[in-house]
Amino acid sequence: MVRVRYRTADGIEGAFDASPGLSLMASAKAAGIDGIEAECGGSMVCATCQVYVAEAWLSTLEPPSEMEAEMVEYTRHPRPNSRLSCQIVMSEALDGIEIELPPSQR
Amino acid sequence: MATLARVIPPNVRPEQVFDFDIYADPRIDDDVQGSYSAVLKAAPDIFWSPLNGGHWVVQRHDLIAEIVKNPTVFSAREMQIPRVENPPFFIPLSVDPPENVPYRHVLMPKFSPRAVSEMEPRMRAMAAEIVAEVADKGKCDFIHDVAARFPVSVFMEVMGLPLERLHDFRSIADTYFKARTSEQIQASSQQIFGIFNELLDYRRDNPGTDLLTHFLTVDMGEGRRLSHEEILAMCFVLFLGGMDTVTNVTGFSVQHLAGDPALQARLAADPSLAGKFAEEGLRMFGVIGTPRLVVKDFDDHGVAFRKGEMVLCALWQSGRDPAKLDDPDRFDIDRGAMPHYNFSTGPHLCLGHALARTEMRILVEEWIKRVPSFRAVEGAHHGFRIGTVIALESLPLEWTVA
Ligand code: HEM
Ligand code: FES
Repeated sequence: MVRVRYRTADGIEGAFDASPGLSLMASAKAAGIDGIEAECGGSMVCATCQVYVAEAWLSTLEPPSEMEAEMVEYTRHPRPNSRLSCQIVMSEALDGIEIELPPSQR
Repeated sequence: MATLARVIPPNVRPEQVFDFDIYADPRIDDDVQGSYSAVLKAAPDIFWSPLNGGHWVVQRHDLIAEIVKNPTVFSAREMQIPRVENPPFFIPLSVDPPENVPYRHVLMPKFSPRAVSEMEPRMRAMAAEIVAEVADKGKCDFIHDVAARFPVSVFMEVMGLPLERLHDFRSIADTYFKARTSEQIQASSQQIFGIFNELLDYRRDNPGTDLLTHFLTVDMGEGRRLSHEEILAMCFVLFLGGMDTVTNVTGFSVQHLAGDPALQARLAADPSLAGKFAEEGLRMFGVIGTPRLVVKDFDDHGVAFRKGEMVLCALWQSGRDPAKLDDPDRFDIDRGAMPHYNFSTGPHLCLGHALARTEMRILVEEWIKRVPSFRAVEGAHHGFRIGTVIALESLPLEWTVA
């Protein structure tokens, strides 16, 4: 199990366990975390699964594909550290990753 | 269509057969989605209806997601039940992944959550104007006078279509959705293409900031432009998807609201509840079913899907799945989660989901501001259509003008 620490837009903090090989989106959904809509279930067409990844962790992630980088621009509240959680595949290297949830996904 | 011979292929087991005429089942009544839900309680999660050429129906939330997220087995390239000779071709709807992706990306700048939120003030002004036209009259047909006009106006603004054509557009879309034979479908598609050809010619000479101009100028990579045929195929699905759907879901939701004075009072006192109301309306009153063509044999959940068979995902059932929420046939804006796939999910998730939700929320807010208390005209017949699209034909309302 890989530990994910998160903070909501209201500043509430929490953590959940993700399964290596699953996407961050699927793991968050499985853990019942609110605030990630993921309407398209990971098909990269909805832009409603945005998270902000803590600076320190950004370089540990595979860089976004061109398509993801473009989709992130269409989210409601994009930031330089925005990622689509359906495109982040969890692995042991990401144990302890810190993310923040946007104020809204749509 | 129920006059066609009943079809039960050998791969279908007797206990999987449940007769249901998706175009005219007599058990469906004025509470369209409610009676659907009631009738299908007796049917298996995935069943075979021998009517309309014979086809599968999938009626559970999680199973629907499995189907629409498995395009290598369940292709979107044909969507007619029964199958027709020359099925219409939509972009991106008829295109399976990965070929659909570049088209979704062309459309995204105008339909993304961000683009929609930027359009909100303009949409609110349009909604207020439409509501103002009826508010002092004390009565209206909510479908015709409000629910049809608003989403179509918003859509036409996005597309850059002249509002004078509103009436033409609606009646052509109506004809299209009522069409059953391939001749009827072809004829009404031709009319739709005719209108778009005319408008594209106009935008070629008079570029604006609208979607048609974007289609004409966008770079698809390495300088490739969209072909005229591709543009028409996109316009076609946008036209059909943006016309009727919002009208009907809003209509059914407000039909419910007309019978619930306590909910009207709550919304009037706190318009910020309109978003919850819209989402619960979406959950309760789905209006789209998505057909898929089985393109290779596939066995799952005890069902033998065979190549060439049609599958209807009855999306309106997805929000009424007792496995996903308590008392699913009750309208309750205080529910925490409102799980449903009335916008589908997966690669063909409705492009307009953010737009549609925002439209519904804004229209309800503007309506309740001006008409805080109203009721359905007693004894009036509303009328409905079923099929792969569910429609409410009228909604006569009345209220006391202050
Ligand atoms: C409440 C209103 C709406 C509902 C219930 C709805 C429902 C749906 C559903 C279920 C699909 C998937 C169909 C399939 O996979 O076979 C879909 C696709 C689509 N919708 Fe909507 N829709 C609504 C509003 C809109 C609006 C306002 C627009 C645009 C103006 C729109 C544009 C589209 C497009 C372009 C597709 C095709 C997407 C693709 O294939 O990638 N829809 N819609
Ligand atoms: S889940 Fe839709 S883009 Fe990530």
